[in-house]
Amino acid sequence: MAINTFFKKEIISDSGKLMAKQRRFAYTGIVPILLYMGLFTLFPILWAVIMSFFSYTPIREGSWFLGLGGQNPFVGIKNYIELFSGTGKPAEVFRLAVKNTFLFTALVLPMNLIITLPLAVLLESIGERFKTLFRAIYFLPTISSSVALVIIWSYMYAPGWGLLSIMFKTIGLVPPKSWLQDPNTIYLGVPLAMLCVVVAHVWQDFGYNLVIFVAALQSIPKTLREAARVDGANLWQEFWLVVVPLLSRTVMLTSVLTVISSLQVFVIFQLLTRGGPQNQTQTMVLSIYENAFRFANNLGLSSAMSMILFIIILILTVTQFRILRTEWEY
Amino acid sequence: MNRKFTFLLSLLIMASVLMSACSNTGATAVLNEKIELRVWGHQAAAFNAADQAMFDEFMKQNPNVSIKYETFPWDVFIQTIQTSLPAGNTADVILIPGGYTCRYASGGQLLEVPADVMTLDAAKEIFYAAPLGGQTCDGKLYGFPAEYNIEYGGAYVNKSLFDAADVAYPPKWDNWDALVSDAKKMTTLGSDGVMTVAGMHFTNSDQLFTYFLAGILEQGANYFAEDGKHFNFNSPEAIATIQKLIDMAQADKIVDPIIFNAESEWTGESFAQGHNAIGILGSWYAGDAKIAYPDLKFDYVTLPPMMGSEYKFASVGGWGYVVGKSTKHADVAWKLTAFLGANQANVLAFNSTSGTVPAMKAVAADPKLLEAAPFIAATLPLLDAGQYQGYLTDPDQLAYEIIYPTILNALQGNLTAQEAANSINETANAMVDAAQ
Repeated sequence: MAINTFFKKEIISDSGKLMAKQRRFAYTGIVPILLYMGLFTLFPILWAVIMSFFSYTPIREGSWFLGLGGQNPFVGIKNYIELFSGTGKPAEVFRLAVKNTFLFTALVLPMNLIITLPLAVLLESIGERFKTLFRAIYFLPTISSSVALVIIWSYMYAPGWGLLSIMFKTIGLVPPKSWLQDPNTIYLGVPLAMLCVVVAHVWQDFGYNLVIFVAALQSIPKTLREAARVDGANLWQEFWLVVVPLLSRTVMLTSVLTVISSLQVFVIFQLLTRGGPQNQTQTMVLSIYENAFRFANNLGLSSAMSMILFIIILILTVTQFRILRTEWEY
Repeated sequence: MNRKFTFLLSLLIMASVLMSACSNTGATAVLNEKIELRVWGHQAAAFNAADQAMFDEFMKQNPNVSIKYETFPWDVFIQTIQTSLPAGNTADVILIPGGYTCRYASGGQLLEVPADVMTLDAAKEIFYAAPLGGQTCDGKLYGFPAEYNIEYGGAYVNKSLFDAADVAYPPKWDNWDALVSDAKKMTTLGSDGVMTVAGMHFTNSDQLFTYFLAGILEQGANYFAEDGKHFNFNSPEAIATIQKLIDMAQADKIVDPIIFNAESEWTGESFAQGHNAIGILGSWYAGDAKIAYPDLKFDYVTLPPMMGSEYKFASVGGWGYVVGKSTKHADVAWKLTAFLGANQANVLAFNSTSGTVPAMKAVAADPKLLEAAPFIAATLPLLDAGQYQGYLTDPDQLAYEIIYPTILNALQGNLTAQEAANSINETANAMVDAAQ
């Protein structure tokens, strides 16, 4: 009994030391990352939350505490009320921007999936050498500089002498007077300028989802498809009844990623249309940027805008991840 | 006790001697101290070349001073000063747009010009009222205007397009109707009916803003309400100005505002590419155009008043040199600022190289200016007719989010002049209310 107790103590003592060492190692690894995230991620989020309750602009002198108070007074939820029901131009434009952002996302998501999923299946069905080549080609726009791509698209969309206008004329069609700046050309409720941005964005972005789909297709056990074929399924049935159900998690994942990235798109709008014509392509992020940096540094109002965007993305993400939380199918 | 006292006394004397020695060394060090001044400006080839030449000269005259000149693209520059000035982390000297000076001066982020450098009364004698207004806040002088921003009264003309349409060149228009008549002759449509050459491009954001305010002033009205803070943008004069702009686009068809606007076919580039025959834009673009398009043949000519017989316009002020509050070398920074903005020879050199309109009266009268920058000649007779635009609450929001898009919308056929004026008036005054 005494001997057992002695050994037990030794073991506990050794494991205690081990645990302490492990803990030290873990803390050493975690603390710098936590500090980094705290400083560059959590603090800015917290700062934005605080600012959204102030009429804050850094060009006014506030109190000693982070410039809050003084000429930057606490206004409670006034910024949020203004955004939801105010008559000021920034609030009016922001409400339009919310609609535009959802419209953009609603157009991008199906267009992206309709292109990437069949293309991934086609890519998966060709030889390895060409598969790599095509994958690289399709992925190229995704890793290219957005600014460079927007410049290319702006030449394509140039009125009159742009590539698209010339192509239209060559095949006997009448191109729109202006692809990006005509507020009066609207198809099925969608402004032409918005459609143009959607096309350019999908072209730039679809390579990302394509790679995910190709990887997912490769992970589907060949035996399942072979079994379907043995059971007499044709290629369409094999795709629709075997492959697509097994890809449902991937479809959901790519949908989540596409929705989140679409809600946050900035560069293409800023450079291609600047929110025009007549705010038809004004998005939430563009509004946040313009109110924070282009106009009178209204950081209080733009922080409230960013909080609204944050909450929208949070709700969508949580919802989609709850749906994603399913058992593995294979 | 005595020994202790003697020891302490000797220590005190030694410390005093050491401290005085140190302070002497310090004073010598300050005199010979190497000072690095940082100067910020926006990226514009002609501006940057003119400034760099003056920095080189200043460093030659002050060998202990080195100048680090940092330039940024326009958007980045504005964001940088907006975030850095309040944070107290800016360059010592900043070449800042006129409309921005008071915004930062009122927040206590800029230094007032010391009286021994220049007083406001002296500045009034030296500079034109409009650009000086951009550097004066609550009766205090915060900087030296480097140029006179004038987007009014002048236009670029393309000789080959005039010749092709058989229009007299160089043009001399007696009134606005004569100008529009010539512009009509040079407007060209493609086989598909799409405008390929605008007879006159006036639909850029700065131009619609400038001519809207100028049109009101030319008719003898004011765009400020009686309290001096709110606006009166739906007066009969404002409506008449918008109607005039609409007529030029819709009735005279000298520009297609769907194709030619700030986002598409920007006036300067569009002119350089032969897409407009008369491009209304400030003479400042001539310097950039000469660098970017060395083979381009053009002239810069005076336009008649648009809404009356007298020239009257509002100016944003113009770029000016200011000193940030965070500078550690205020005296040297002011010395440099005065060297750049108050020294007549240097101001002449700057305006000549950059092709900008001088804010300094003596430089405008100097014949050497026109030898170096002949394009400025067209605007020189108008300089006394300008006034500072005044406190517009948020000039950028007013110009680019309220006035420009609304008038453009009207020009594109979606609003009447009355509706546009009412919309501008309502949103501009809502902006003022929100800021109070």
